[in-house]
Amino acid sequence: MSMSSDPMILLWTLAKILVIAVPLIIAVAMYVWWERKVIGWMHVRMGPNKIGPFGLLQAFADVTKLLIKEIIIPTNANRFLYFTAPLLAVIPALAVWAIIPFDNGAVLSNANAGVLFLLAMTSLGVYGIILAGWASNSRYALLGAMRSAAQMISYEICMGMALVCVLILAGSLNFTAIVEAQAGGKGLFDWFWLPLLPMFFVYYISGVAETNRLPFDVAEGESEIVAGFHVEYSGSAFALFFLAEYANMILLSFLAPILFLGGWLSPFQGWHLGWFSQPGWWWLFLKFFIFATSLIWLRATFPRYRYDQIMRLGWKVFIPISIAWIFVAGLFKYFNVVTIGH
Amino acid sequence: MADSIDQAGEIRSYTMNFGPQHPAAHGVLRLVMEMEGETIIRIDPHVGLLHRGTEKLAESKPFNHSIGYMDRLDYVSMMCNEHAYVRAIEQLVGVTPPERALWIRTLFDEVTRILNHLMWIGSNALDLGAMAVFLYAFREREELMDVYEAVSGTRMHATYYRPGGVYRDLPAKMIQYKESRWHKGKDLKRMNAWREGSMLDYLEAFARDFQHKVDEYEELLTDNRIWKQRTVDIGIVSPEQAYALGMTGPMLRGSGIEWDLRKKQPYAKYAEVDFDIPVGTHGDCYDRYLVRVNEMRQSGRIILQCVDWLKKNPGPVMIENYKVAPPKREDMKESMEALIHWFKLFTEGFSVPAGETYAAVEAPKGEFGCYMISDGANKPFRVHLRAPGFAHLSSINETTAGHMLPDVVAMIGTYDLVFGEVDR
Amino acid sequence: MKRVTEYLKSLLLLELAAGLWVTLKYLFKPKYTLRFPMETIPRSVRFRGLHALRRYPNGEERCIACKLCEAVCPALAITIDSAPRASDGQRRTTRYDIDLFKCIYCGFCEESCPVDSIVLTDILEYHMERRGENVITKPQLLAMGDRFEKSIAANRAQDAAYR
Repeated sequence: MSMSSDPMILLWTLAKILVIAVPLIIAVAMYVWWERKVIGWMHVRMGPNKIGPFGLLQAFADVTKLLIKEIIIPTNANRFLYFTAPLLAVIPALAVWAIIPFDNGAVLSNANAGVLFLLAMTSLGVYGIILAGWASNSRYALLGAMRSAAQMISYEICMGMALVCVLILAGSLNFTAIVEAQAGGKGLFDWFWLPLLPMFFVYYISGVAETNRLPFDVAEGESEIVAGFHVEYSGSAFALFFLAEYANMILLSFLAPILFLGGWLSPFQGWHLGWFSQPGWWWLFLKFFIFATSLIWLRATFPRYRYDQIMRLGWKVFIPISIAWIFVAGLFKYFNVVTIGH
Repeated sequence: MADSIDQAGEIRSYTMNFGPQHPAAHGVLRLVMEMEGETIIRIDPHVGLLHRGTEKLAESKPFNHSIGYMDRLDYVSMMCNEHAYVRAIEQLVGVTPPERALWIRTLFDEVTRILNHLMWIGSNALDLGAMAVFLYAFREREELMDVYEAVSGTRMHATYYRPGGVYRDLPAKMIQYKESRWHKGKDLKRMNAWREGSMLDYLEAFARDFQHKVDEYEELLTDNRIWKQRTVDIGIVSPEQAYALGMTGPMLRGSGIEWDLRKKQPYAKYAEVDFDIPVGTHGDCYDRYLVRVNEMRQSGRIILQCVDWLKKNPGPVMIENYKVAPPKREDMKESMEALIHWFKLFTEGFSVPAGETYAAVEAPKGEFGCYMISDGANKPFRVHLRAPGFAHLSSINETTAGHMLPDVVAMIGTYDLVFGEVDR
Repeated sequence: MKRVTEYLKSLLLLELAAGLWVTLKYLFKPKYTLRFPMETIPRSVRFRGLHALRRYPNGEERCIACKLCEAVCPALAITIDSAPRASDGQRRTTRYDIDLFKCIYCGFCEESCPVDSIVLTDILEYHMERRGENVITKPQLLAMGDRFEKSIAANRAQDAAYR
């Protein structure tokens, strides 16, 4: 596909990008609202309920507030890096959505190396955080950046290993192919979560760690290093970090179903229950919703790990499990234990 | 960052300023920490940012005027502070409050202990990231503050204990929620379920239910592996160290020393109620957590016993010594003598025989003491307040150096610091 | 055996699940908070809020300028000047100022007042917009008393037995 030769394709692609990016940003706003609401309910409070019906417009009010706030630049901050950092955080977080399929065929770029692109983009996000911490010229921010870098790098490994297990079974780096490989006649037992159960957990927990959410939010560590890497950011610069974090959370909540829970496939596939057994985007969105809510649930319940304890969990527990299970997955594949596709 | 690298290019430890504006500083704590990476080499607490000169202020006022200022020392265990101050006056004057007043004081000391420990469990958990416990604890606090409000008229700074008794007797009617657009019918009935009877009925219902609420906090924290990792073996204080550092209260009991003024030097009616002193074994943050959680349960027990006694035995709550306590309002309107007492007491207070005394109570944070010297005038010559938090905070370098930055937060939580009393 | 069960318990994350169960239960329970400006928590009849000066039923102000409240106020928030009233020569206050920034709401003024004039109402929602408004003056205090006399009297009557 050569873009320059055909402006229509370029326009079409731009339109598709907008169709993904604009709802994504709105989804972030609604996700923030939902998070505050669910956490509120779990804490016997009501959550936002003043702005709009059920407080629905709260997130938009917050965005407006952030956008009209002054951006304060600390003395001796490196201005160039200070402003580059939020962009570096947000661009990969948005770019990665190019390869996420929402239904069979409903994807911006059905790239064959989708998983590689995903790994590349999610690893880039950490540069935004490190630069933000360094450029702010604050010890709190620097500590947050160091923690974040260490944490992201170690959990990237577990996450990569979990992906490798999926790759071994699916035999493809293409997300659509990975989902289709989980099709079959045994309903949800055809999905990869069953043969890769430990990896499913490792992936999910690493994902929580990767997005810096409780119980792994030491990079922000509100009560220790105040807000970590973005302690010196305000206004729209802070809003970009916020957007990146929540876009990443939504991404995680989409990826976990796609990789392990059959994406848009019905949990009753092959059981001939009529409409219930049909695949469709609604299944993916339902699974996404459950995962996204579970992230909120974790935050509402658990204390925070200490930074070195997170490292220990990552290196001493998850990575050995991952390595062992890659071997197991290989055995599954070799002896054809797991049926792939129809 | 440049100052942390000297000429030879060697990396030295750097200093970090923690607070006074910090979400985990519990007010206005300022710590200057010498750190190597995340590890703390030396930690230096700076106090005094909330100094209001309460001790000096008390010298300028008649004895009974300063009660309100005692509330504001440790502003999460208000009545316990009043208790120490009021007891010191009573010891010097040589009066004993009526029995019912002593029981009410015992009751409210324990209500205050629960209030304080709820604040502690909430903020300690929140500092370590567990938000849910914080809000659950504050829900219960709200209910106890309604009790404070019912008896004294304020939710925090009660000014309820007076030399010679307490301000007013417990009300026969508990305050109730009013109907609104959102809460009516069955919903309103549920909210007012405990509030139908007297304040004592309400407290009884609360104390019975409270044990289940503590179960919930424990479910969220006690066995939780993250909570354990954050608290077990953090800030170990050995019994010898605890003695040497002047620790009292849960800090001391967490190290395994069974010392509780309520048992060892009983005051009010503590000799007549049945309760246990929980002690730790190891002296780490987790033990102190267990001790405090257990103390909340014990306080619930004491409250039930006090409620039981108070229900059965009505009586006066203030002594009838008009040199110390005002006469009844109706008497004042009728009798000339009462009116004279009234004016004398409210203008110049009362003169206290010369002498000195020390009165201490087992405040939720430890031994809260009041050392008072009188020269025979109507104002104290000198008042010294022994705040447990101050002794605890000064040990922070001994207990926390060598730990990591997040452990400082856990330690501040376990010290249960309130700067009203540390800075006074 | 005990070690095995403990190991299994820890592997299955049972204690974490128990914590999650607590928060999940509360997701569906009725909420404890109220919609504040529209509805409020119950307020005690002994509540100590904003001050007011009361009048007798015949409209005569109660305060006789005995200055007991001024003497008893620990925070020295009350300032009183007095003079014989021009019309009938009765001793009355010419100035009765309360500095709300100094006041610690201890209630000693109400307790000491021999004629039940100065009272602390159950009003706790108020604000100042300009410097100097923190000092409320006699006309303001009397206006407060006139406006809320009904609730003030009702609260005092309910608590009369304990005073």
